[in-house]
Amino acid sequence: MKDQNNIHNDQYLAQWIEGLISDSELKKLVSEEEFTTLFNMREKLNTYIELQQPLDSIFDSIKNKIGLKSKPRKVKWNWALAIAAIIVLCLSLVTLLNPNDRVFETGFGEQKLIALADGTEVILNAKSSITYNESDWEEERTLNLVGEAYFKVKKGSTFTVNTQRGSVEVLGTEFNVNVKDELLEVVCYEGSVLVSQYGKKTTLKSNDNIRKVNGNNIETWTSSLSRPNWVDGESTYKSMPLKYVILALENQYNIKFETDLIDNSMLFSGSFTHTNLEIALQTVFGALEIHYYEKEKNVVTLTSN
Amino acid sequence: MLKDLKKICDPEVFEDVFNLYGKDLRRFLFFKTKDIDTAEDILQDTFIKLWENCDTVNYSSVKGFLYTVANNLFLNSIKRNKVKQNIIAQLGSNYNLESPDFVLEEKEFLIKIEQTIASLPEKQREVFLMNRIEKKKYKEISELLDISVKAVEKRMHQALIIMRKEIGNV
Repeated sequence: MKDQNNIHNDQYLAQWIEGLISDSELKKLVSEEEFTTLFNMREKLNTYIELQQPLDSIFDSIKNKIGLKSKPRKVKWNWALAIAAIIVLCLSLVTLLNPNDRVFETGFGEQKLIALADGTEVILNAKSSITYNESDWEEERTLNLVGEAYFKVKKGSTFTVNTQRGSVEVLGTEFNVNVKDELLEVVCYEGSVLVSQYGKKTTLKSNDNIRKVNGNNIETWTSSLSRPNWVDGESTYKSMPLKYVILALENQYNIKFETDLIDNSMLFSGSFTHTNLEIALQTVFGALEIHYYEKEKNVVTLTSN
Repeated sequence: MLKDLKKICDPEVFEDVFNLYGKDLRRFLFFKTKDIDTAEDILQDTFIKLWENCDTVNYSSVKGFLYTVANNLFLNSIKRNKVKQNIIAQLGSNYNLESPDFVLEEKEFLIKIEQTIASLPEKQREVFLMNRIEKKKYKEISELLDISVKAVEKRMHQALIIMRKEIGNV
């Protein structure tokens, strides 16, 4: 090893692979045989790295060549529906003599946008409902949620979402609450929210996710979406017990699953589309190597290998 | 009801097929062509052929279709261009282009690299992957890990010494 400025015995390979030391400089540092070996190693590594790179750009140019427009899959939220919802709400305010508990609910595969009196927007996912007392609304912004909903809360007094599995309190923010069976999952998209569960309080900041499945520890992680994917026609999960993914599929497509033959505590990470059942089934169960077949109309049986 | 829904002419299904088989096909083509650009060109043409035939190919046989088309396109390409000379020159004239041994050998080198990376000590592997795969500069890595650039370079140097031992002489 020759003595040179800025080149250290225990760092030079790092500098060479990054291009900070040229090949000819390296040649001066090592034997010819050693150089050949290193050169060979770099070639192999580069090949390996190239084969690991994503294929997005290739698919884009395929799409260009065959004249496919980019993804038609995102279903944009229809703001006309929002206006309709507001009109219905205003009309009902006038006509209803006893406007106490109000209930909004969605059926299988349905989503609803609800505009509350204070300007707060709620998007309800499939098979979900919210209930609130209209007469108290000005003083106490509290509602009950069953299922899943995304909230865009107007700034103002404390806004509380109660569920069977805990409550979520906010001051003015965007967040998603998903409550099914023994699951409570909250994602904060903007501002901050306070989640209370059996006396335990957790504060979520923007992009924080929290999940509690009964009996298990609270899980927290961060993500970088600006709103939940389901609003755009796709449900996305991270290490979610399969049971809840199946429940979401049932609610979205109005089908039933027979799950006796599989382990529904397996964890699923990924998404499924709301627009094509076959693709949805394939993406969820294909990944987990679970077979599915339609036993009778709208009943899908699941079996493992 | 379920079976008939999978139409390759549906752009979403087509994209799913690409995501499902694209990477493996690229590897397969790379083993054959020994050249990443040629492999990716053939990959593109293969999927364009699939699109042109989307109403005649069944979803259940799409994998076979892709590999057959890819292989044919590869064979056509060596007939007409210099890839042939490159390969023959590299491998010697008695080399059979479709020899499964060759494919196996190439697969083994990729597996060897994967195993070697996996065997690196945690701290070295972390730096190695951040630098080589995620393309982060040593400076960025040092900030992320809260250590000096010098320490990052030392770890990388160690990792490369191990890589050289394992794959430099293959």
